[in-house]
Amino acid sequence: MPGTEFLLEVRCEEIPARMLQPAIQELATRLFEELMALNLAPSEMETGFTPRRLILMLKGLDSQERDRDEELIGPPVKAAFDGEGRPTRAAEGFARKCGVEVGALQRLETDKGEYLAATRRVVGRPVSEVLAQVVPPIVEGLSWAKTMRWGVGEGPWVRPIHGLVALCDGEVVPCSVFDVQSSNETCGHLVLSPRSFAVRNIADYRRKIARRQIVMRFEERRQRLQDQLEKAAEVLGGGLVRDPELLDRLTAICEIPGIVVGRFDPAFLSLPREVLITSLRDHQSALMLESKGMLLPNFITVMDRPDDPKGRVQAGNEWVVAARLEDARFFFNEDRKTSLKQRRQRLDSLTFHAKLGSYAEKTRRITELTEEICESLGWRHEVEEAITASGLLKVDLTSEMVKEFTSLQGIVGGLYAEREEYPTAVWQAIYDQYLPASTEDSMPRGRVGQATALADRIDTLVGMFGLGLIPSGSRDPFGLRRAGQGVIRIVLEAELPLDLDLIAGKSVLLYGDLLDRSGKEILADLRAFLQDRVRHLLGLRGYAYDTIEAALAVGSSNLPELLARVDAVHTVREEPDFLSVVLAAKRIANILKEAPDHDLEDAVLKEPAEQDLHSAAEALRADIDRAEKRGDYETCLRDIAKLSEPLERFFVEVLVMDENRELRNNRIALLQRIQRMISRTARLTEVVVDKSEHRDRGESKSTG
Amino acid sequence: MDVQSFQELILRLQTFWAERGCVVQQPYDLEVGAGTMHPDTFLRVLGPEPWNAAYVQPSRRPADARYGENPFRLGKHYQLQVILKPSPKDVQAVYIDSLRALGIDLEIHDLRFEEDNWEAPTLGAWGVGWQVMLDGMEITQFTYFQQAGGIELEPISAEITYGLERITMFLGLSRSVYDIEWVPGGVDYGLVRHQDEVEFSKYYFEVADVEFLKQRFDGHEAEAKRCLEAGLVLPAYECALKCSHLFNVMDARGAVSVTERVALIKRVRNLSVACAHEYVASRERLGFPLLAKPRESGLGEVAQNARD
Repeated sequence: MPGTEFLLEVRCEEIPARMLQPAIQELATRLFEELMALNLAPSEMETGFTPRRLILMLKGLDSQERDRDEELIGPPVKAAFDGEGRPTRAAEGFARKCGVEVGALQRLETDKGEYLAATRRVVGRPVSEVLAQVVPPIVEGLSWAKTMRWGVGEGPWVRPIHGLVALCDGEVVPCSVFDVQSSNETCGHLVLSPRSFAVRNIADYRRKIARRQIVMRFEERRQRLQDQLEKAAEVLGGGLVRDPELLDRLTAICEIPGIVVGRFDPAFLSLPREVLITSLRDHQSALMLESKGMLLPNFITVMDRPDDPKGRVQAGNEWVVAARLEDARFFFNEDRKTSLKQRRQRLDSLTFHAKLGSYAEKTRRITELTEEICESLGWRHEVEEAITASGLLKVDLTSEMVKEFTSLQGIVGGLYAEREEYPTAVWQAIYDQYLPASTEDSMPRGRVGQATALADRIDTLVGMFGLGLIPSGSRDPFGLRRAGQGVIRIVLEAELPLDLDLIAGKSVLLYGDLLDRSGKEILADLRAFLQDRVRHLLGLRGYAYDTIEAALAVGSSNLPELLARVDAVHTVREEPDFLSVVLAAKRIANILKEAPDHDLEDAVLKEPAEQDLHSAAEALRADIDRAEKRGDYETCLRDIAKLSEPLERFFVEVLVMDENRELRNNRIALLQRIQRMISRTARLTEVVVDKSEHRDRGESKSTG
Repeated sequence: MDVQSFQELILRLQTFWAERGCVVQQPYDLEVGAGTMHPDTFLRVLGPEPWNAAYVQPSRRPADARYGENPFRLGKHYQLQVILKPSPKDVQAVYIDSLRALGIDLEIHDLRFEEDNWEAPTLGAWGVGWQVMLDGMEITQFTYFQQAGGIELEPISAEITYGLERITMFLGLSRSVYDIEWVPGGVDYGLVRHQDEVEFSKYYFEVADVEFLKQRFDGHEAEAKRCLEAGLVLPAYECALKCSHLFNVMDARGAVSVTERVALIKRVRNLSVACAHEYVASRERLGFPLLAKPRESGLGEVAQNARD
């Protein structure tokens, strides 16, 4: 039997594209969870949405909740009967509530004593009744990025709601969302099929929606658009400039997926590619086409209708695009009248931050810091170009183009520098300065770009931290997390042996007396902040958090070295000998917790097990030293793991806390020595061991 | 048939909204940046009284002035502003009908509502809504007011702002705003307005006396406060509007530094917020007169008429 089906459609005014996907997911998940909790989970669940509707289609529901027994607990037996064993009021009241005689009540033994209890048979509700109760609060309670009220104060919701279809096997589930009553009626497309119509069930709904050319499933809409786009591109003899994010957005703004292909004056192709693409994307949500790396004078965008019978949609879009490109050309030509060098002066009147001064001052600091970075990395050949690039880094903020298209900051400066024939490394550094903007984004090309990108970000971080503007929770108005992430990624991926503490310290000095907090506080906070970025980034690369912590605990200011340590721990951490040493390290840490330092005297080592441990450790010392020096941390850890047997034997055979003070102190001294040796490469105590598993193995070993 | 001229567009929209029970108001007789600043929007959206009005509002944006040389940008443009309080349930459908009333055949155009939230720092106001796109061109701002003068609103007003030049240009696919017909087959927009654009551009960018503007700003601000103390909210609000416009002129003149900017915006905002609070109090003293007879005045009927 196919079971009961449920159709839900919430119809409303246009929901912003960016909020649709999360909303339908939340709606589906929450309803599914509620039904699961009631043992009513459907066997099939499908979702759909357009800007004007959220749709859920459930199949294979039980028509009815199962009947179930509910255990009711009443008063304690002590309070249920008086001295003569007659039921008290409490007992009678409880029995009445359960609908039975006192004599029929059961007794239940609990931690707190004996209680009266009863089992009641609860008859399951029809599923439509359950839905009528659970659906409205879920719909009303969806979490939106921004909500509104309407009318006399209805809401809050993302936009006004107009209709609610709630049909359970063809019957309307009576309920309401805000002031809207459920029904079996919905509407078609806002303009092309606005009349309301009744639906009977899911199949009927699908049919009638499809007849109005509305495609309710996001994936199908995107696929249809994709097919049309590709076909159109083929006709025009080009390929689409890929922009999956834009395609998603376009898919979310229509119910009926149609495309419009337009042309513009090829003379506009003299504008930089980035400017054309951005202008069309930001202003017109339009995609561009290219052939052999050259853009075509065409664009394609999406309309919420199937066709363009009189060519008006195309003509309109072309008209707007022409006006937009005219604007872009005007900005470009205006900007080019002033060279980047001349523009530098304008940075004086551009505020970076009220307390941290203008962009001109920031530029001076960046230049000094860039020089410092190059010097500390030994980049003598790059330093001159890096200084040039750093001086021009922020100049494009004064351009009309960046004022119009803020997403092009950096890129515009780079393009202008290229046209002014600055060396490749210089214009690319300017162009790439905001890379990487995300965890997947690409890196600045070359050393000049890396040095300037680092200098800029460290200057920003130190300045903001210096004013106490440290991101907390979801608040990060200056994008400092992204800046920190950028620093860490550049240093890690380019494997720069750069001491970030040192560079940040220099940056503090460059600020002079502009900062509110002491250099020490700033650097401490920044160190912790950057460590968090490291944790996050390494976590994304698949390292376990305790692996990362173990490596971080021995220092993090040189990141490539840190990464090598993390990698080493990651490689050896499942090996039994290593795990055994980790457990020993934890034990040692416990024993040594508050012990003062003692000196080891070889002669006082009495038991063979302690003598063996000592000699085993000393035999490995030189090897570990050498491996540590050349950065071969895997060898270090493997050497350390060789102590597993002597350590295990030591703990079986030797009592550290001997009554004899001399013996005791000497054993403590031995363990201190061992601790220093095995905690150098990574702090082993941070590594989490699944104890149950290991203890078994450990025991079998000691008995065997 | 599409509307072909500027004045025909105005006349048809006014008629359309008059037929739906709106008070056809006239432009406010002061310089304002947008129809929203007209007291019949900014003040009327406050408090519990219903209110439905439509009017043309010449709107001044000194920084957008272009000496009459740019075919799209103007230092002064015209908006047709509609305010519906409380927002009728079918306001979107009624708006779409208004486009049909302009002769726009929606069977051959693409109409979309794209998220566009509105915020006016000098008014302590924000709202949620869309820009309405016709064939990829923004023709209207559609906003559900949520807050004005720092006050949470209830009931909520729907504001519909038609960009009149844009719509006329777009319907005729005209290449320049100055080429659109003001009178059908007669005088064009350029003949009516070009000198205005040229002279005011020169004034805003080159001639305006910054010291004089600053004095006036200070003076109007002081006067606004005096009026508020005397319980005269409408004159006080006029002074606030004056300040707002003077700020815009100083800004266009390049006479406002970044820090000054923040401070000046805050001063205007403080005045608007004070006016908003005083306005609600003054209406309460009057017993919220518009609450009494919504039917007789034809208010609250918008939705009804639209369905007929």
